[in-house]
Amino acid sequence: MGASKRWAHVLGPLLCLAWPLTAAAQDVPAPTQPAVPQQHVKIAFVQVDGDPRYAPIRASDRIILKAPEHPFAGAQVGVDEAAPLVRLLNTDFTLDRIMVKSPADVAPTVLQAADAGTHFFLIDAQADAYRPLAAAVHGRDLLLFNVSEPDDTLRRDLCAAEFVHVHPSRAQLMDGLLQYVVSRKWTNLLELQGPSPDDAAMTAAFEHSAQKFGAHIVAQRKFKPGTDPRDRELNDPALLSAINRDFDVAFVADSDFDFARTVPYHLVRPRPVMGSIDLEPVAWHWTWDHNGAPQVNSRFEKRSGGRRMEGADWAAWVAVKMIVQSVLHTRSADFSTQRGFILGGGSFDADKGLAVSVRAWDHQVRQAVLLAAPYEVVASAPIEGFLHQTNELDTLGDDQPESACHLDR
Amino acid sequence: MNGCPMLRLAATILLALAFAPAEAKDSGLIYVSNEKSNNILVIDPKTYKVVNDIATSRRPRDMHFNADHSKLYIACGDDDVIDVLDVATSKIVDKLVTGSSPETFAMDETRRRIYVSDEESSTLAIINMDQNIIEKEVPTGAEPEGVMVSEDGKTVYVTSEVGDLVHSIDADRGYVTQDVVVGTRPRRFAATPDGKELWVSTEMAGEVYIIDRQKFVVTGKIDFLPPGMRQTDVTPVGLVMTKDGKTAYVTLGHAAHVAVVDVPTRTVQGYILVGKRSWGVTLSRDEKTLYVANGLGDDITVIDTASRRAVVSIPVGRVPWGIVVDE
Repeated sequence: MGASKRWAHVLGPLLCLAWPLTAAAQDVPAPTQPAVPQQHVKIAFVQVDGDPRYAPIRASDRIILKAPEHPFAGAQVGVDEAAPLVRLLNTDFTLDRIMVKSPADVAPTVLQAADAGTHFFLIDAQADAYRPLAAAVHGRDLLLFNVSEPDDTLRRDLCAAEFVHVHPSRAQLMDGLLQYVVSRKWTNLLELQGPSPDDAAMTAAFEHSAQKFGAHIVAQRKFKPGTDPRDRELNDPALLSAINRDFDVAFVADSDFDFARTVPYHLVRPRPVMGSIDLEPVAWHWTWDHNGAPQVNSRFEKRSGGRRMEGADWAAWVAVKMIVQSVLHTRSADFSTQRGFILGGGSFDADKGLAVSVRAWDHQVRQAVLLAAPYEVVASAPIEGFLHQTNELDTLGDDQPESACHLDR
Repeated sequence: MNGCPMLRLAATILLALAFAPAEAKDSGLIYVSNEKSNNILVIDPKTYKVVNDIATSRRPRDMHFNADHSKLYIACGDDDVIDVLDVATSKIVDKLVTGSSPETFAMDETRRRIYVSDEESSTLAIINMDQNIIEKEVPTGAEPEGVMVSEDGKTVYVTSEVGDLVHSIDADRGYVTQDVVVGTRPRRFAATPDGKELWVSTEMAGEVYIIDRQKFVVTGKIDFLPPGMRQTDVTPVGLVMTKDGKTAYVTLGHAAHVAVVDVPTRTVQGYILVGKRSWGVTLSRDEKTLYVANGLGDDITVIDTASRRAVVSIPVGRVPWGIVVDE
């Protein structure tokens, strides 16, 4: 491992930026023999410029409530952890960060990088990038890890063998949330849905999970964000929740967050809130302190300059980890052998208790869902008592019999 | 003054103070480190009562006595030190500086060295016990955990939890000479008394791997499944072996059992029910008693090894990590 930093390949005119942020495995002193990696495993991290999911969420111009960032640092932590393996495996792992101009540019960029010898990609893009991408990579020797998009249709309708969905699906997240409230016998729920398509998708997943676990939605209300007094029936949480039936918890689906943050303590009844605020189902939370989580949180915070690790960061970290482990446990330089390990029997320690693995039918990573309050992981789903004939993690999300995707057949 | 409780308490404390130094050697006292209450509780093995509560640096975990049991060394993860407790006076008399977040360590008093795994810096620190300096930091795989020094002091074995590796480190020259890949999340070691085998618990794989120390390859593994438990709860961490090399005890973490293993045949002979997230495990010198720390139960379980039954569980501090016995 001579030069541990090298310039990312400039992949053509489509790229508006190609960072020199290649996080190659660090040099490791190996006094017995100089480590000369004979195998190079290239990983590309692809993100889209202007991805609205990473726009700061503001209360006003001067108050920033959330400043989400691309999960690249999660992937870097994964590569950092592989550094001591360079000598053992005669393999180095390099990570290139590629930014494209639009979702439509993801597919051609991936193909160019694939032609230059990259087999593994971490895709950090919204759902609309996936359909052209799936068509472009169909049948190619590539593995693309979805690290940030929870959209259920990618798992169900698109159903592409070249993808591994490391980020949990909405179905998994909502199943985790519903398992928890049902275990507490909080089964009467008020639903508050926002205007965006994401809110609709989240609400649909919520309703499906409620039905699956036997919770009852006592009222479905669509809110309209704003302060217009003529719309107060639609923008005031107290009026929206002023219904005859009592409810145990209010569920709010609001990807803009502007309305969601006004819901706690403004309902007409003293009831807790879940969904987009207060009790949120997530892939990861910075307060999780079991299963080795404090150590990975600490490595991540150092690597990212103090940022707290979130769900997509976790997914990017796990994606790199799966790639590294596939080389470690197969000791093979052959991509199809590595892919076979990841998609086949491979199970991975992802610091959430039960080992994660890839579901054969839709390539979703089965995993625990953390139910996070702002300063505490309240519970980890699957909740005790929700049983499954083979793996309790399959009580979350689309299980084989009900999946619309059958990559295993 | 019908049994004034304050007076009785004072008398007890006086008695304890009077007898503590005299009993310092071979006292049989049980020392329990508590990660979250930042203390060591000292328990009388006969009465099962807490007789002393010693404040330590933050997050005390692994503990070892020196050879004559005059000092107890305590790795404290959140303050990056190893506290040195004077056993006779129950006072912390020194602090050895380690790397970031020390968890487990091994001592080699012949070479006056402590080998400590620094979980967050992914190194094995070699500390000179007398000069209180870090002589060397050996890079390891991510999250190093278990540390064991070979009988001749020439080799140090370290697990890397994230790397699924066991390293063999040249103690004098201070670098990794060999690696062997084991199951997911390797944690701690036990060695067979004949010096031939190294047993390694792998928490996420739910197994114990057996390594041939000469060839440094995996030669076997042992699976566990206590009755009524799920395979995914089986998360072995702590393990100890009897001096005759016949029996090993393995704590199974979330499966809340200790497995009793016949070492020569590598077969599980039985399971003993303990508390939640059982990790730390220690045998008394006469090997008649086994002590298990239940990390998520805030108690320890005392087991009679002959009958393989739990005798009593004793409430301790928050998140008990390790147990040592002064004998």
